[in-house]
Amino acid sequence: MRIRADGIDVDVPRGWDAEIYRQREATIQSMGADPGETDAPIMHLANFSLPPSRGDWGSGAVEIMKSDNIFIALCEFGPESVGKALFARQGLPRVDAADFAPHQLQRTLPGQSGTQYFFTHANRAFCLYVVLGSHARRHELVAEVNAVLDTLVIDPA
Amino acid sequence: MTVVLVTMGLAIVLLAALVIGLLRSHGEILRALHQLGVNLDEPHDTHDHSFTNTPKLRPVSDSAPPDIAGTTLKGSAVKVGVAGVEHRTLLAFLSSTCSACLNLWNELKSDPTAGLNDRLVVVVKGPEAESPSRLRDLAHPEVTVVQSTEAWEEYQVPVSPYFVYVDGPTGDILGEGSIPTWDQVRSVIVQAAADRAVVTQAMASGVDPELRADIELRAAGITPGHPSLYPTSMPIEGLEDEEDES
Repeated sequence: MRIRADGIDVDVPRGWDAEIYRQREATIQSMGADPGETDAPIMHLANFSLPPSRGDWGSGAVEIMKSDNIFIALCEFGPESVGKALFARQGLPRVDAADFAPHQLQRTLPGQSGTQYFFTHANRAFCLYVVLGSHARRHELVAEVNAVLDTLVIDPA
Repeated sequence: MTVVLVTMGLAIVLLAALVIGLLRSHGEILRALHQLGVNLDEPHDTHDHSFTNTPKLRPVSDSAPPDIAGTTLKGSAVKVGVAGVEHRTLLAFLSSTCSACLNLWNELKSDPTAGLNDRLVVVVKGPEAESPSRLRDLAHPEVTVVQSTEAWEEYQVPVSPYFVYVDGPTGDILGEGSIPTWDQVRSVIVQAAADRAVVTQAMASGVDPELRADIELRAAGITPGHPSLYPTSMPIEGLEDEEDES
């Protein structure tokens, strides 16, 4: 079942939760941008029940993850970020198990692992943040993450 | 002359007493109907507060209950997984207008879980039929609310409020029906889960298929002598479809 909003289109597997919404001020502040500078979209995908109230980087959701759970956040940055060194990587990334580490989590939780990629695609700047419920199971879970990311379509700015 | 006046006076007093009695009776009837969730101001909102805990034994496949896709009350695109998940989900199809629904919304304000251990997802019709701002006033922020007219159609929801209880791992609908209070919802959910456990246990232990059918019928509330086992007439082809459309 596909969902689409703000030029982001993804095929969400059966049983997964997903939402595409506009960025909240807290995220913008935490990433060092001026509040109100952008209200770019954010997409959340998870193979577990997403609570209605949660942070842009998954706070409130990652705490209830089990070992086989996956949380994906795709956060867009404003047009002023396009061309900056942080977003030099071009194209939608595919995640690699070797990129995951427990210390890469926004909030470190026992057993979990995370990674993030900053990139530019279709002249739009993004951060892809992925949390796995178990670092030990990262190889099997990464395959599921990439299967979903393969269906992601982003319209040009 | 005096006799006539007295007689007329008595007649007036008797008639007044009769009218007062009728008005009181009318008020009591209206109050009783309101408690049952019937609002006579909404002639189209017919409530059939029955719940059928009929296990529909279907594997997770294309015929499994669909996930819910629509928009949040803030207008975001959203999709909620229902089948193929580890937990059970109670889908509560509510509206912002029916009187029974308003009671349910109000109770959710004080307890967003409705006292349930299962996932609760409130499904309302899309923004073309329901005002998101009105719904934001009614809904607790911790309750998952999806606006989706498509989901109402896919689940063939006949009235509001209407509940569908789905077993995530199997994709089976454990029960569905119109229920006016959370107390009754909790009660029928416990019953549906217990009935389901009986059926599952029987199947796991390799019970004879004929006996299994009996167990499933009992779980569905169909016991020996149940009227549905003795139809008085043959079903008329096409009648059911016509009723659904009306």
